Amino acid sequence: MSSEPIERRVSYLGDRLRAIRCKTCGKEYFETRDYCGDCGRESYGKMDNIDLFYEKGTLECCVLIDEPTNKFRKLDRFIYGIVSFHNGKIRVPARITDQLLKDNFDPALLEGREVIPRFRRRCSVGKSDVVPTISLAFTFADQYYPYQEYKIIQPTQDYELPGIVGYGVYISRFRIKDGSIERAVPFIDEDSVTAAVEAGKLALIHSGLDSRLVGKIYVGSESNPYAVKPIAAKVAQVLQLGESDGDLQAVDAIDTEFACKAASGMFKDACALVSYPRSNVNYAMVIGSDNSQAAPRGCPGGELDAFVGYGGAAYLFGKKDVIAEVEVWYSCTSDTPDFWRRDGEHYPMHGGRFTGDPAYNKHVRNAASKMMEKSNMKPSDFAYFVPHQPNPTFPVRIAKDLGFKEEQFLPAIQMPKFGNTYSGASLVGLAAILDIAKPNDQILVTSYGSGAGSDAYILRVTNQIIEKRARQKVNIKFLAENPFTEFVDYSTYRRLKQGM
Amino acid sequence: MENNRPVIVAVGRTKFGEHYGKKPEKLIEEAWLAASNECNLERKELDTCYMSDYFLPVTNKLGLEEGFLSELTELHVPMEVTRSFSAALKTACHAIEAGVYSTALVGGIEKMTDRWDKIRDDLMLLEDPWSYYAGGTPEANHELLLREYIKKHGIAGEDLERLYCALAQVAVKNHANGAKNPYAQFQRKISLDTVLGPRKAANRSLGLFDYAPISDGATALILTNESVAKKLGVTPVYIYGYGSATDYLNYTARSELNHFVAGQLAMQGALNDSGLNVWDIRLWEIYDQSTMMEMVSLEDLGYCTAGSAWKSIDESYPHDKGCYVVDGKELYVNMNGGLKADGNPLGAAGGAQIYELFCQLTGKAEQRQVSLNGAAPKYGGMLEFEGFGTKAYVNILGRD
Repeated sequence: MSSEPIERRVSYLGDRLRAIRCKTCGKEYFETRDYCGDCGRESYGKMDNIDLFYEKGTLECCVLIDEPTNKFRKLDRFIYGIVSFHNGKIRVPARITDQLLKDNFDPALLEGREVIPRFRRRCSVGKSDVVPTISLAFTFADQYYPYQEYKIIQPTQDYELPGIVGYGVYISRFRIKDGSIERAVPFIDEDSVTAAVEAGKLALIHSGLDSRLVGKIYVGSESNPYAVKPIAAKVAQVLQLGESDGDLQAVDAIDTEFACKAASGMFKDACALVSYPRSNVNYAMVIGSDNSQAAPRGCPGGELDAFVGYGGAAYLFGKKDVIAEVEVWYSCTSDTPDFWRRDGEHYPMHGGRFTGDPAYNKHVRNAASKMMEKSNMKPSDFAYFVPHQPNPTFPVRIAKDLGFKEEQFLPAIQMPKFGNTYSGASLVGLAAILDIAKPNDQILVTSYGSGAGSDAYILRVTNQIIEKRARQKVNIKFLAENPFTEFVDYSTYRRLKQGM
Repeated sequence: MENNRPVIVAVGRTKFGEHYGKKPEKLIEEAWLAASNECNLERKELDTCYMSDYFLPVTNKLGLEEGFLSELTELHVPMEVTRSFSAALKTACHAIEAGVYSTALVGGIEKMTDRWDKIRDDLMLLEDPWSYYAGGTPEANHELLLREYIKKHGIAGEDLERLYCALAQVAVKNHANGAKNPYAQFQRKISLDTVLGPRKAANRSLGLFDYAPISDGATALILTNESVAKKLGVTPVYIYGYGSATDYLNYTARSELNHFVAGQLAMQGALNDSGLNVWDIRLWEIYDQSTMMEMVSLEDLGYCTAGSAWKSIDESYPHDKGCYVVDGKELYVNMNGGLKADGNPLGAAGGAQIYELFCQLTGKAEQRQVSLNGAAPKYGGMLEFEGFGTKAYVNILGRD
């Protein structure tokens, strides 16, 4: 049984790695405090809040742990040590994550390496307990996930239409390869919450937007570790979205669920919100994040086990420094039970062959063709078409049926690289296109969510996409071709997927 | 007129180890009876009791330990609980010096094996929560201390091998001493290979035989003022010097990570208090939760300069001689086997250190007896910690 107040205090400090600096002598402390130990009462109220969330540290000293304490047992073996920030002004205990340690090696060889904090699950707890999180997990800055500075850049240009001002895609380091499909596998301390935070962090870095200006956060997911408790609240707190007022954030946060279109469906809501003159919301963030579970192969629902991936994508919407304007949209919905998960069940069920024509094809075709019809456009008017991608065949078939050419849709189809990222799937596809699109390109995006519905959007790329592109190292190509990617076997995949 | 100088008049203890069938109360009863028999004192003569346990409320779900102590002694005198034996002893000393009481029972107890499967989580959470949250283990902190030490003093190559070997010798020496201690948890000698083998198998710098075990056990002593001690007609042992210091809970936040600042400060305090010099004390009970802790404490206590203790250990062959030889001078450390062999029931461990010093100073240590210039030692010191170097206590005991 965990203690909620203790949990709240530890994760409030630990998720963001909140620290404090004395204005008088410059001494720094991990954790927050009201005065400096050296300067005493004079420093009361003269302490600056700092945090280490976007910083780079140094692994000063480390050892191997191969007999963890009970709550860390599922991590098996890991590197643990001391990480220093700001030339040793702050030292924190640190666990190196994203490592499957097999061979014996000397941990001392890792000392001196630069590391970056990663937001992860802290340890195992009972099924009914609060899920503990922390950013005292680190990965090497020169490996899979590179260090990127979060630099706030004042926006310069206003747009008539709202649109995307920044985006970020988070895909874990691990993959399983089945034939021609590579699927992302979470590390054991990852879940849909940690992917949402990482994706949001990358989107803020890409946009250069001050996180305090974000007035609304939507997180779409079908694999929230909680039946009741929003992912969006964690994202808002960790990323400090909206102005901080003590330990509250002045932001509206909400989770949405509609199978794979839980996030893409909110693009229009985010656009409408930032356009409404009295909303006082200038920027809204939409995240699609999933660590969807699948029954083992051979069991009911086990056919999904060949396709599930892991990851998240975050999009920031606003009307300044837009990289792709959202021009128009169209949605359709029907009550079609092609994929579902009953409350309390661990694995979803699947309508088998009926997930094709009566479900995916019908809704995507309807949304895409109605969208084109209403805006008087034809497939050849678009530079790119981004279909939802639950498997490698559906999106190709529907794109061809709709009359798109391979060069228009193939660059968007990333499912064979990362697996089906569910709420993140069409968002990852869109990110792959935004990574390469030219100013004035028009893009048709069609998402799909089982249950069932589809959203189509027409986006027009602006000139500013070029300058912002240079700020993001972690793009789709980087994630797909990363030399530090590690492939795991089926049993390791099942173990990691199960989580802590 | 009463002479209020505190005197240890008797000590008692249980065997350390696993006491599966015994309640914690049973253990303290055994220790108390041993001590009271020794000085022929009745429980009705006790004015107060001070008892230490580090975490009985966690391991045995026992709060209000004073209550069972009252049931045990059938006394309703004031009783207080502290976390370490040294803290209980110091509180009792203050009370006696102040003339508030004339006879006090000081006890220590721990029952760790009852919570065998969760003990490392409990220990880590209590002694360094942030390190625990990051995944740290009790052993990892000792290994980090060793890594920091190696880096600070630039030890590499052949010297590093010698250092690792010196640490193994600490364990071998303590086991050899434990073999002569009928109360010790481990009463068998080990060889260097016994220590080095598990290290090699685990590919770690410290292995199973570098660490003190988890233990059950209890210790007790009777503290009186000098007037009462005279009436009892026992050999009096005095507390010549006391020092204590505190450091941060979170190891990584401390200013120095390659040794224990609190240990160093506690020793300075105790030397000032006693007016003695470092080398006046050649008998020590050091809190060796790991071999690394014993080594680094030789430096913190001032017997070796920083970064040199491993050399002194390596050059003394303590497993042959039974003592360290530093600059040609003999230094006897952990004659009871230390926490390594004697056992480590946290709240009682300090009591076992005092027990050993009392036996040594009064010439009752039998086959472990240290002889300095043909006589029992006049002074003996003990270093006790709470947590991983968070609280340090040094007590210097002596005969007039």
